[in-house]
Amino acid sequence: MRADSEAVRFMNDVAALDDVVRRAQQGDVSAFETLYRTHAAAVFALCRRMTGNDRDARELVQDVFVRAWERLRTFRGESSLVTWLHRLAVNVVLGHLRSASRHRADELSDDIAGPTRSDRIDDRLDLDAALARLPDGARTVFVLHDIHGYSHEEIAQMTGTAPGTARAQLWRARRALLHVLEP
Amino acid sequence: MTRVRHLSEEERHGLADGSLDGHGIRDAEAHLTMCAVCTADVRRLRSLMRLAESAPRPATDLDSLWPEIRSRIESSKVARLQPRVRASKRRGWLVAGLLAAAAIIAVTTLELRHGGAPDGRIATTTPTPLSPAGDSVRLYRDEAARLLEEMELRRATLPPATRTAIDDDLRTIDEAIKELEVAIVHDPSNPALRQLLASSYRQKVDLLERIGNAG
Repeated sequence: MRADSEAVRFMNDVAALDDVVRRAQQGDVSAFETLYRTHAAAVFALCRRMTGNDRDARELVQDVFVRAWERLRTFRGESSLVTWLHRLAVNVVLGHLRSASRHRADELSDDIAGPTRSDRIDDRLDLDAALARLPDGARTVFVLHDIHGYSHEEIAQMTGTAPGTARAQLWRARRALLHVLEP
Repeated sequence: MTRVRHLSEEERHGLADGSLDGHGIRDAEAHLTMCAVCTADVRRLRSLMRLAESAPRPATDLDSLWPEIRSRIESSKVARLQPRVRASKRRGWLVAGLLAAAAIIAVTTLELRHGGAPDGRIATTTPTPLSPAGDSVRLYRDEAARLLEEMELRRATLPPATRTAIDDDLRTIDEAIKELEVAIVHDPSNPALRQLLASSYRQKVDLLERIGNAG
């Protein structure tokens, strides 16, 4: 009985969400705001971990949702909105990192970057602070593989590298993180 | 068979994240039973992965971002309306072109009447051979037909508003073409009419090319 009522509530939630998506697709900004309120935290977490700093992550959250608004009509519901939005966010952040790398001379280095790479690193080194000290490529692969569960093949496709390269970057990233996190 | 070397980097990571295949796992796990160094390293890697899975999500004040996003969305809505505005302006130019064409036809006809036969009849001349303008008309007409065919193929994929705008534009141009063709039947030797007809077909080709490029 309880399971039934939970199932009904779940179905109602799904139907309500579908309705919100449909209204947003038709240009309803209020409905889109609901989608933003529902998904912004997850998108920010992804952006924050992939970029390693709050400032870029906040700007990218805006870019992701503006892009989502522009492309929402292309969302056909084959995947869940979460998956669609997540993939969109990854692409936006990767585009940002590629663009930023063109302006950074230190991008080719695989060494761990100094603390200046993050705009606010706490004295207490947690995972996110440690991630912020990784080079972009290694950080991206670690976040996508070990936190978000993408396969090496998917990561290779998204980043335009070979799966073997993605795998090697992941190993380097793990070693670098252990180096930073362990006393 | 006893291993005499430590696990490779690939084997350690593969054990830690479970990506190592069947035979590899058996050999690697057998090695771990007798190697404290590799055991400790795999344990460190596994603890890192647990940390990655369980680490709290970084958070920030996201409410403060919405006004900027909304503002950018509203701007994009305005930008999306721009092509429609431009389409209206384009139709305005087409109408103006049509009026100009009509004026030229009228002036040309008057000139022919006044400069023609002394008795006021419309001067009759033998039809001129195909002029460059005539060649252009044929070329543009063929090209327009080809582009029109292409557009029809992808018509179903266009949004209804775009289809309506395209149809309006094409109708305006086709009306101009029809009027000019009628005028040419009555005045086949008038080069201005042929040039205007070529120009109208060119407009049609331009429009269809723009539609094709927009896709």
